[in-house]
Formats: sequence, structure tokens, C-alpha cells
Amino acid sequence: MKTVLDLRDVSVDLPLGGFLSRARLPILLDVSLGIAAGESVALVGESGSGKTTLARAVMGLQPISRGTMSLDDQPLSTAADFTRMRRQAAMMFQDATASLSPRLTVGYLITEPFRIHGQPLADPETTARDLLAMVGLPPAIAGRYPHELSGGQARRIGVARALALKPRLLIADEPTAGLDVSVQAEVLNLLSDLRRDMGLAYLIITHNLALVRHVADRVVVLYLGRVVEQGPTAQVFAKPAHPYTASLIAAEPKPDPRQRRADLAIRGEVPSVLRRPSGCEFHARCPLARDLCRRVAPALASTGPGRMARCHFAVTTQQEQGEEHAVEN
Amino acid sequence: MSSAVDGANPVRRGIGRALVADRMGLAGLVLVVAFLMMALLAPWIAPYDPIALDVKARFQPPSAQHWAGTDHLGRDLLSRIIWGARLALGIAMTSIGIAGAIGLILGLIAGHGPRWLDGILVLIFDSMSSLPMIFFALAVITVLGPGTATLIFVIVLVSFPAYARLIRTQTLALTQADYILAERAMGAGSARIILIHLLPNVIGPLVILICMDIPVVIMLEAGLSYLNLGVKPPSPSWGNILSEGYNALRQAPHVVLVAGVPLVLATLGFTFLGEGLRDVLDPRGAGRRWG
Repeated sequence: MKTVLDLRDVSVDLPLGGFLSRARLPILLDVSLGIAAGESVALVGESGSGKTTLARAVMGLQPISRGTMSLDDQPLSTAADFTRMRRQAAMMFQDATASLSPRLTVGYLITEPFRIHGQPLADPETTARDLLAMVGLPPAIAGRYPHELSGGQARRIGVARALALKPRLLIADEPTAGLDVSVQAEVLNLLSDLRRDMGLAYLIITHNLALVRHVADRVVVLYLGRVVEQGPTAQVFAKPAHPYTASLIAAEPKPDPRQRRADLAIRGEVPSVLRRPSGCEFHARCPLARDLCRRVAPALASTGPGRMARCHFAVTTQQEQGEEHAVEN
Repeated sequence: MSSAVDGANPVRRGIGRALVADRMGLAGLVLVVAFLMMALLAPWIAPYDPIALDVKARFQPPSAQHWAGTDHLGRDLLSRIIWGARLALGIAMTSIGIAGAIGLILGLIAGHGPRWLDGILVLIFDSMSSLPMIFFALAVITVLGPGTATLIFVIVLVSFPAYARLIRTQTLALTQADYILAERAMGAGSARIILIHLLPNVIGPLVILICMDIPVVIMLEAGLSYLNLGVKPPSPSWGNILSEGYNALRQAPHVVLVAGVPLVLATLGFTFLGEGLRDVLDPRGAGRRWG
């Protein structure tokens, strides 16, 4: 399949501030990621793992310090590149209501992409009505202001606006945040339908694992700005290779108390990016940590077809259930 | 529906009604409208020529012929007050209007433009506002000579930095707002972001500040004219009337009183209107001051 978005060794760092200080704080480290046409990739990780920063970097809102990015084989580096790519890629922000300009009507806001990119907009009302119909909203809503919308409506407006110019790639930052469960399901079904109909590639940023299972073909796990595991969603959930992924999955609330795994629970807080741990950055919280982990940082290595993990003791998919203990030697 | 889709600048609904419901705002609105009417209709409602002398009728107390009495040259005070409103409001609104426009443009540029430009502009704003207003005004008037144009020039110079700083702060806060980032992610250029998305959201506090500054400028104009540094006599400036009346305070106290009352009422009117607007436009910030 054709690659739509391709990131190679992308790093982002921020100036630490301070007078005449040149110190910089690494937020993302050597993230590589590819998304094929029609594919849906989920980016998961705790707060502060760099998920949103990655999305902003892709849209050119956050300059990258190293690495290369491309969309449909067009490089993304100069301002002109991003101006062009913003026609082909769209981003939905985490706070749907706050990402709508407060003094403008919904009708104006959802037709704005046409105005920005100088696309023909012969009949704004009809265009607005069609876009609203696509996301299942009544035409009357075109006359409303953002503060008059419910969270679900604002989210749908965000979807309509993002898809107005039929992009190739949609980046959705927490598309279900702040919605109640029934509305979450509606938004997710809407996104799935539109992907099927329009052949969109999705990059979905979330820490909601139920959402990942529901919509993502592949999952990429970030920890402190590094990819620690990636692979097909079903396989990663069935058999996580990295202990962090296993802990994240174990931390999901389960209705059946007998299925809860206390031994995999994550201990402690996310370490500060200001003081990164030595060796493997997860060692302080890892249930499998040894001496080696404290000294040597593991590399991202293949653990099976289409799967990668950054762990000295990664569970490889070739291994049988019984051989897993051999790792502990 | 068509207005909903095309309306790039929707007006916030119900401002007028809320302002009328606010008693202080209503009082301010009535006073301001009254002074505006007075200024606009001066040639028709003034009973006499404001600079016509009638020395025989000097220092007459208020009477049926001269409702507000006459001054030391026998000029009708009511006519002078009415024409004075035109002068005071004309100078205040022109100079504050120009200063507001300059402040708005420079503030938006400083807040949304590159960092180095922001640094230069802030340096200019800060140096301008560090000058003591009256002394600066005196210095400029000494160099350029007194007159209406000089007065407007001085007022513009001393007021625009406060407006520019207000707009810059508002703009800086909004530049990181989600909807501005969302606009950038959609590919919107700086012109579109500034004109369509920033401007309508930063202008509210500026309108309020301007409204509260108009009385300050009316007072400044009156003060400088009182010192014979503003509008040249025989023009009927409220400050001139006060200054001339002050010389004859014992002989004819009504002159000072009659010139003082409109000054006080205009000041109160614009201040009330500004406070009312502030409460109506931003109910969260009731009691908070800008500037």
C-alpha cells in the first residue's frame, strides 16, 4: 500500500529558557512512523509522552530539530511545504469547542477551508448544508455560534471542517475527549464510515485503549517521547511485547475482577523529561527490570512480522507461551 | 441563513438591551447622547453667536434672555457651552480615535508578529508611557505652538501606547489559543488570522478603555486651555470659559459654575458608559480595570 505520511527519526526539542542558556529539552526522540492510504494508526501513551507534540510537528505548528517528514512523497520542511500540505491534511484538536473561532457562525467556520485555499465556493449555504448533512447535523445549526453548541455537536463540526476539502490524512487528537459514551460511539462510527467512503488515512492520538481497539489498524506506543512498541492492533493487545504496553493494557478498567493483574500494574509516576532515567527509561517502573536495564538503553528491535519493541526482554511473537520464562534466565 | 454563512463579523446580540438594563450604563448613555446631540446641533440650538461681544451686558447673572448669564465680554454663556461641547468632543473623539487605531494596529503587529519586532515596539510603548503626560504636553506645545492640531497631536502621542499594550497582551494570549492554532493548521495566513480571528476578539476591552479615556482627554484639553496652552481664545473651549471666569470669580461666580457643570457631567457620562459597557461585554470581569 502507498505510504501517505512518512516520518523518519523525527526529534523535537524545546529551549529550556534562562538567560543566554542554550540548553534544550528533548520532547520527541527519533520517532519513525509510516501511515498507508486508508490506514488508521493510533498513537498511545500517558500524558506528557509527546503525542500531541508529534501531531503539531506533522502539521508544521511545532518545528522539528532533526529528522525528515513527507506527505505523499512531498517533503515537509519549509513553510511553503506546510502551506501546501495543509490543503491535504487536516487536524482535529482535543478541545473541539475551543478550536472554533468564537465570534463566527458555524456556517462560516465550516466553509472557511474553501476560503483559505481559494477553492470555488459558489454557494456557501448549500456547501454548509451538505457538510452538516455529512456529519449528521441539521442545516439550522449553520446560524449558531460555537458557545451555543454541545460538545458532540462541536466535535462533529470539527470533523466536517477537517474533511471539507477531502484531505488525504486526518490527525485526530483525542477525538472522544469530553464526550459521553453514546456520543463517543457516534463520533467513532462517523469516522469509520468516512474512512471507508473517502479512503482517508488516520492518525489518532489517544490514551483511550477502547478507542484504539475499535478504530486502529496499527498502534504505536510512545513513552517519554520514544516509540517503545508498534504493531498491528489485534496482535499488540493479544500479546504485548513491551512491559509498558502490557501495563497500559492491564491498567484498563475491567468489569471482571478476576481478570485484573496486580503484578503488571505500573508503579510510580512518569519520570520528568528534565531528568531522564539512565539505561532503559522505563526501568524504574518496570516489573521486569534488571541491572542491564539500568545501565544499557535498549534499541527498537523487531519482535515479529510488522512488530517492533524497545526492550531487552521483549516478548517475541515467534516464542511459544512456555518459552517466555527462558527470558528470565 | 445567508447572513449566517457570510457573516464574518457577527455582532454580539443584545448589547444595547443589556446596557439599558444596567442603571449606570443607562445614565452614561443618556448623558453621552445628550452631549453628542449638543455638539452636532450646536449651530441650531445655540441661542446667540458664541463670540459676539456685547460689553454693555457683561457679567449678567442667569436670566430669561441669557439662561446661563454672560461673561466678562457680554458673550452668552449657554451658547459658548454648547459650542464648547462641539470643540471638546471633537478634539477628544478625533484624538482618541486616531490613538485607538494606531494602538490597535501596532498592538496586533507586536502581539502576532516576529519576536524582534515585538521587542522594538514594546520598547517604544514603554518609553512613550514613561514620559509624564503634562510635562511632555507642555514641551511639545512650546515647540509647536498652541492650537487645536498640536493638542490632538499631543493627545495621540501620550495615549496610543496604553492601547497598543492592551491589544498586544490580548493578542499574545490568543495566539496560543486552540482556535488560532486550528486556523494555522488549516492553512490560514497571517492576514486572515489577524483580521478575521484576532481583531473581533481583542477589540472589546479597547472600546471600553477608549470610552473611559475620553473624559480624561476632555479634562486635559480643558486644563491646557485653562493654562492658555490649548485652544486659542476666543474659541469657546470649556477650559477657556473656566479660565476667564476664574479671573472674575468674586464679581460673577456663575461663570465658573456654568462652565464646570458640563465638564463634570461629560466626564461622568463617559465614565458611566465605559463601566456599563465593561460589565455588559464581560460579565466575568465585573469590577476589574484594564490599563
